[in-house]
Amino acid sequence: MDFDYILRALPDLLRGAQTTIAVSTLAIFFSLCVGVIGSTIRSSGFKPASYLVTAYVEFIRGTPYLVQIFFIFYGFPAIGLKLSVFWSGVAALSIWASAFHIENIRAGLASVPTGVNDASGSLGLGRLHHALFVVLPIALRSALPSMMNTIVSTVKNSAYLQAIGLVELTFVAVERVAYDFRVIEMFASICAIYLMCVFTVSGLGSVLQRRLDRPYGGR
Amino acid sequence: MLLLEYSGFLLAGFLTTLRLSLAVVLGATFCAILFAVGLSIRSPLVRRPFQLLVEILRDVPLIVTVFLIYFVMPRTGLALDPFWSATLAVSLWGGANGSHVIRAGLLAVPTGQLEAARAFGLSGWKGLLLIIIPQAMPVILPPYISLITAWVQSSSLGAVVGAYELFRSGQVIIEQTTISTGKSPAFLVYGFILLVYFVLCWLISRGGSWVERHFNKHRAPVKDVTRPLAGVLSPVGPLDGRT
Repeated sequence: MDFDYILRALPDLLRGAQTTIAVSTLAIFFSLCVGVIGSTIRSSGFKPASYLVTAYVEFIRGTPYLVQIFFIFYGFPAIGLKLSVFWSGVAALSIWASAFHIENIRAGLASVPTGVNDASGSLGLGRLHHALFVVLPIALRSALPSMMNTIVSTVKNSAYLQAIGLVELTFVAVERVAYDFRVIEMFASICAIYLMCVFTVSGLGSVLQRRLDRPYGGR
Repeated sequence: MLLLEYSGFLLAGFLTTLRLSLAVVLGATFCAILFAVGLSIRSPLVRRPFQLLVEILRDVPLIVTVFLIYFVMPRTGLALDPFWSATLAVSLWGGANGSHVIRAGLLAVPTGQLEAARAFGLSGWKGLLLIIIPQAMPVILPPYISLITAWVQSSSLGAVVGAYELFRSGQVIIEQTTISTGKSPAFLVYGFILLVYFVLCWLISRGGSWVERHFNKHRAPVKDVTRPLAGVLSPVGPLDGRT
């Protein structure tokens, strides 16, 4: 292993990592928004809309993510939606992840006992108050582990975007391998960077989980 | 109609996808059993390396593993063609995910069952095969089937290292048509490929639930089969398997 080579490649790799982090952060944000909206629609009881959301979830989960990326980047211009590589990546990653978040959040909402509705009603809480301060904390408790899994997968799956030419971490490494043939050095360093990203995200997740798991009341 | 014009080519790609998927499912199942055994061994000298390997395979993006195997294997003197290097990479990754499912399933069977099997003279392999595994199956199968669909989908990664499966065939058709007519049929071709995969995965999960019913046939109605699963599996991480 040639550490000097890694040191020289490091600025390039870190620039790639920046793109990886930017794409994943945007995708995590958008997918959580879509996830909340989608799961609300799905548990709203309005049949046609909830079937539509179910169809979306099933289709995204039943098709390869790599093909979805290519469909969005190369296929969407045909229907008049031309996005740059970066925004195609964000779109593909968000579309993929939100299908999972809709499921995760729906399962979380399903775990909230229906009694709390009556309890909130009898206490005279408003709808928004009820949703934000009663249902959300309870739902998040049980939904968080699977949501964290999806968020970690979102970070990892940003690597697939190298296939459409987004210059992120994997792209940088593969390109350098093609020029310099330093296979072991490059793959060891990007594996280390990905592991750091994954551990950071899942560490944040367990901090949040501990915070949520604290008993209610005693402030 | 473009798709009809190239139907033979697409069919060849689809058949390669099926072969690749079959190889991946077999390979991943083998790796999953191997890793599950490795993770269950008491001696930390054996268990730790397995834990490390499984953790790394789960945390590194699959596409990186695919490139890694494709570029590194020739260094070890074992040059694999794209088909087999994709098979190896996806199998290792699938095995890492599958091992936790298998382990959790086996752990969900109460230890009293193995003790009872021993008492009846069914020791070692016989007890495992005849008593433990049939009881573990209802716990293993649901997540395992969704893993299988994830593996089949991941076989499309063969395209990035140049295996001529369905997705790669689609790419070639698009390239050729774009050159000859100047218009990209990407929407049609990739849309079609998405549909093919969707139907394939749907068929797999239908077949899977048929197998599930077979293993649940002799079970007394249990109050909640999913509960032990949730308890056992929640700490082991992603079951959405798609990395």
